[in-house]
Amino acid sequence: MSLRRVVITGLGPVSSIGIGASAYSEGLREGVNGVSPIACFDPTGFPYIMAGEVHAFRPENMVRRLSVEEWGRTSLFAASAARLAVADAGIDEDELAASRAGSSMGTTGGESQVLEKLTGDSLTAGMGGLDANLVRQVSSARLSQAVNRELRLTGDAVTLSTACSASNYALGYAYDLIRTGEADYMIAGGADSVGRWSHAGFYRLGALTETACSPFDKDRSGIITGEGGAAMFLESLESAQARGARIHAEVLGYGLNCDANHMVAPNRDSIAECMRIAHANSGVKAEEVDYICAHGTGTPANDFVEASAVVDVFGENAPPISSTKSMLGHTMGAASGLGAIASVLGIAGSFLPPTINFKTPDPDMPKIDCVPNKARTADVRIAQVNGFAFGGNNAIVMLGRPS
Amino acid sequence: MTSAPAAAPAPATAGTGTSALAITGFGVLSGAGIGPEALAAALTAPAAPVDVSEMFEEELPRNDAHALVDFKVRDHLGRKGTSFFDRSTSLGMVACKEALADTGLEITDDNRARIGITLGTTAGSAKSTSDYSKDTFIQDRPYLVNPLLFPNAVMNCAAGQSGIKFRLQGPNATIAGGPMAMLNVLRYTRNLINCGYADALLAGAVEEFSPHSSWAVHYAQSVFGGDAAPGEGAAVFVVENADAVRAAGRTPDAEVLSIEVGVFEPPGPDGEFSRGLGLCISRALERAGVTAADITTVATAANGMALLDEAEERAIGAVLGEGTARLRVKESTGEAFSASGAFQLAALLARHRAEPARDGELSLITTRSAEGAAGAAVVRGWSRAGGDHG
Repeated sequence: MSLRRVVITGLGPVSSIGIGASAYSEGLREGVNGVSPIACFDPTGFPYIMAGEVHAFRPENMVRRLSVEEWGRTSLFAASAARLAVADAGIDEDELAASRAGSSMGTTGGESQVLEKLTGDSLTAGMGGLDANLVRQVSSARLSQAVNRELRLTGDAVTLSTACSASNYALGYAYDLIRTGEADYMIAGGADSVGRWSHAGFYRLGALTETACSPFDKDRSGIITGEGGAAMFLESLESAQARGARIHAEVLGYGLNCDANHMVAPNRDSIAECMRIAHANSGVKAEEVDYICAHGTGTPANDFVEASAVVDVFGENAPPISSTKSMLGHTMGAASGLGAIASVLGIAGSFLPPTINFKTPDPDMPKIDCVPNKARTADVRIAQVNGFAFGGNNAIVMLGRPS
Repeated sequence: MTSAPAAAPAPATAGTGTSALAITGFGVLSGAGIGPEALAAALTAPAAPVDVSEMFEEELPRNDAHALVDFKVRDHLGRKGTSFFDRSTSLGMVACKEALADTGLEITDDNRARIGITLGTTAGSAKSTSDYSKDTFIQDRPYLVNPLLFPNAVMNCAAGQSGIKFRLQGPNATIAGGPMAMLNVLRYTRNLINCGYADALLAGAVEEFSPHSSWAVHYAQSVFGGDAAPGEGAAVFVVENADAVRAAGRTPDAEVLSIEVGVFEPPGPDGEFSRGLGLCISRALERAGVTAADITTVATAANGMALLDEAEERAIGAVLGEGTARLRVKESTGEAFSASGAFQLAALLARHRAEPARDGELSLITTRSAEGAAGAAVVRGWSRAGGDHG
């Protein structure tokens, strides 16, 4: 059978540096730091108190069908991002609802913020004194179902909970569903919320930094936990052309593999292999890649392994590789989705998002160009979006300028 | 560290995305016990839920459940490396082990990069995540959580740890779907196989019994009615391309001919949801190339929640008419959320294996959620009476 080409025609970022494609693009170009003191929980007693929260998020002003009382924060990030993506795609809502359309959303913690509230409540009220309406919100299946319900999509609603590469899994799956003809329109992305449990966990893992995330820097010392929602509107090239839609970028393909080696330590060979798989599946040669949107968490281990794998695959003249996590913190299940949107904006707007907070090159790391501190004008025809995760769940998506 | 051999991987070549899937073996752990025989026996004569009051320190809404009270991971996988596993990871990994022991598929260094894992869940181990939050509330210092337990608190732990245990380097995915999880997993798995990302997947779903899951059942019943006991367990299926299995001269245990899902208005008096589920059933029949009359059994998600059960029955009746036999697995295994969907499929397969007279029968699986998600799948199964199997 003939496979359809798949394009992205709508962008919906809900991030700490901007909500909506133009605000987010502006934030990326300016290198805005979205990290701030934690407000969503009382950080008293935590040694580090910074996070990449989306303080400006007002779901009640973004969703139209969902009742915000009935859905957790992460589902509302997902549904709000989807709303933005559909508006950006300029497709009629009723037409979309009558089509073969669905959603594919990634997450790390799902509605763990709801579970955390219930946990706190149970300490005073007991497990028998909880709010049934809140208990019902714990299921992570609801992230994608929230998108479908908000937009009346009657197709797939899939929540991929493959931790910090989940958005890439979700984007890849949505691409396949469209190219094989299983669906005509898909919303793909991811969402996550800041919470105490992950803040504590990353701290105790020695993977949290105090004030600023500085990927690829010699003195990098970890992540900042972040949150947000990412959604992209996908359709076939023919569909986009037929309705005269603005095409932001094309999804060229993706690769998945598993380290099958360690739950939390990244694996250089396996990550390099995932890049090769992604290139092969996309029909892309390494030398054609103009930009890599790094997983770039800012931990000593990740950045060293990632840069080394890049050099293994690309050689000494690897393309520029920058980390949006320097600005956003680590938005977990939304991270590769917000990275993909940044890459799409870079392709469409001919710029490279910067790695901010960069001060000192790391002499122990293979030499890479991390686009330090300032966004750069550049012709981006093909971009690679890296996503790695606990469990060795690697997922890499390739995006291209529509030809 | 050295780099991997630079030989370029062969590109994944997409087929139609709609070819049938073969199941060539499976492992199942439920309150009914471990293995297909225990499940088949429980389907014939459902046992009462067992006393679980000694399993946990926390208070429970009821003292019984369809739980594997004596389950200990070390009995199945040894002590080494398993001491920090939570129950969800343990159940999932043992189900993977059982599935691999049940299949003719052999894993070697030549194919381990082409074999992956796709596991369904609701919210991972809610107990592990909640305990992590709890420690931040009650410890003298909120950050004094145990770092070794951190991966347990993240939803992809069971799939990730199983990938490590069985050294499977192919795609490793976790899908949070609750009652939809197994059908979502099957659709995702079908795509991985038909688009050429993998040759085989260990595909299934896991749910642990815990105070948290027991209370979740309790609160759901406070809204929707019913009194089914909570359940737990995992079922994992070895899934391959049906054409490839037959071309290799192997005989599958089952073929998954179609899987259709959708999201509609939540179950309510207007019947919109039943029309949606009915649409999924009709599409599933059509894509399987079968008619309503061909279906011998419907494995439903019935759990005593009247609003949902009635909506599901209305949809089935509207498409299949009256008289098709039902298999209600939750009567034997309790309400185990995402694992229940896996048990629906496992129950059909366990019964096929136990009753060769059913060889070649077609069954329909249906599911539904209070959020409005619905799905249906068509499955054809066989016993192993012929001696040859996957």
